[in-house]
Amino acid sequence: MIVTPRIFARLAVITVVGVVLQLSYFSRVAVFDASPDLLPALVVVLGLLGGSLTGAVVGFSIGLLVDCLTAGTLGASSLVLLGTGYLAGLFRERFDIHSLLVPAVLCMALTLFAEVGFGAVQVMLGIDAPVSVLVIRDMVLKSIYAFFGGWLIYLAVRRILRPALVEEARVRRRRQPRVLGRV
Amino acid sequence: MYRKQVRRRRAVLALLIISSFLLLTITFGRSSGGLQDGVSTIFSPLQGVADRALKPARDMVDWFDKTFEARGENERLEEQLAKARREAAAGQVALQENAQLRKLVGLDRDPAIAASAYEPVTARVIARSPTVWHSTVTIDAGSDDDVAVDDPVIAGEGLVGRVSSVQAGSAQVALLSDNSSAVSAKVVPGGVQGSIEPAIGNPEDLILDFINASKDVTRGQTVVTSGWQAQGLGSLFPANIPIGEVTRASILEQEASQQVHVRPFADLANLDLMQVLTGGPK
Repeated sequence: MIVTPRIFARLAVITVVGVVLQLSYFSRVAVFDASPDLLPALVVVLGLLGGSLTGAVVGFSIGLLVDCLTAGTLGASSLVLLGTGYLAGLFRERFDIHSLLVPAVLCMALTLFAEVGFGAVQVMLGIDAPVSVLVIRDMVLKSIYAFFGGWLIYLAVRRILRPALVEEARVRRRRQPRVLGRV
Repeated sequence: MYRKQVRRRRAVLALLIISSFLLLTITFGRSSGGLQDGVSTIFSPLQGVADRALKPARDMVDWFDKTFEARGENERLEEQLAKARREAAAGQVALQENAQLRKLVGLDRDPAIAASAYEPVTARVIARSPTVWHSTVTIDAGSDDDVAVDDPVIAGEGLVGRVSSVQAGSAQVALLSDNSSAVSAKVVPGGVQGSIEPAIGNPEDLILDFINASKDVTRGQTVVTSGWQAQGLGSLFPANIPIGEVTRASILEQEASQQVHVRPFADLANLDLMQVLTGGPK
């Protein structure tokens, strides 16, 4: 990704809008007793489009913003999301994306990684309360929601950042060449 | 050129990881000072607007989700209503006797719960944390509305949590389902005392811990805040605020104690409006 000041501004807006939408909407709706967590999917998409460095920086920024707004321990979400973004970017640098299914599957897998990571960080910081088995169900459901949400996020963010993306091979519909003067 | 890029990438990654660990070390167990307050102050109006704008969309999703749960909920509520009617009748009799006895011993104070010493401030939830490990909500009332850290927070049905941090126009509330939450509570009737902790990942289950195995706790009993006071120390929560209802008790044989499972009265997964009890004794 070519990061100019305008593209940086778009990335910043995407980050802020994503965090506000997650905290004010997605965290407050529950389907089958689990709320979608689309921030890891957003980080994965930005890592896929921008590379490992962009993914890591965006993941760190989103994590720090979330920790500030939820009065959590600073650095907890940053650590997990920067790792998530870095891994997504690393995938992009090693493999090509030939299908729209790839970002969706990657969002699902790395969201599960991020949810396990959040749990690991909390264990590292110390948990005084008992942990219910339903945490596992919550993680699995969140990763499933990330499959569908990540696919939509990928399409939307790719469109917004298109000016910055290195030219991708696009499949163009082949048309019959028109010859002037002939009907 | 390529190696330079790789070195730069690794350096930035290392810097970010070190920064994360530094932040964790510095802010673990205490507030970050101005940074979180500043960011929350800037973003809380945006979150408020987003909350109001997205409410119809949120209600639509909730409608679909609640439809699936409605049948079981209906049966449970009918049982609860019948039980509440019986208890209300018994309560009226007890109140009458209590008033008469108080008059006899010369106590002319209002027998209402200690929460009458507080000034309730109504607030709306504008944001919620995304993970189950850290269960907090942001409300649109702050220090400008006399909200302070450790103020108890209730919803219509019962206790919800306490205020964990405050800014001018907003505050964060640590819910009963947050991993840092612990509330001293008692079972009524009976008076068995213990500590309410969350079962992380399940907002419909709280654990009443440190109950001796010999104590008799049965399904359907109500759990309220104990509001204990002793030698200048006291609970953060006033006495007799409803917390939940006992669903089951399991004996931990190796520890000679029992774990009592409590279903909270407040719907911790779907909070919209709540009241902060401000102005009480600290």
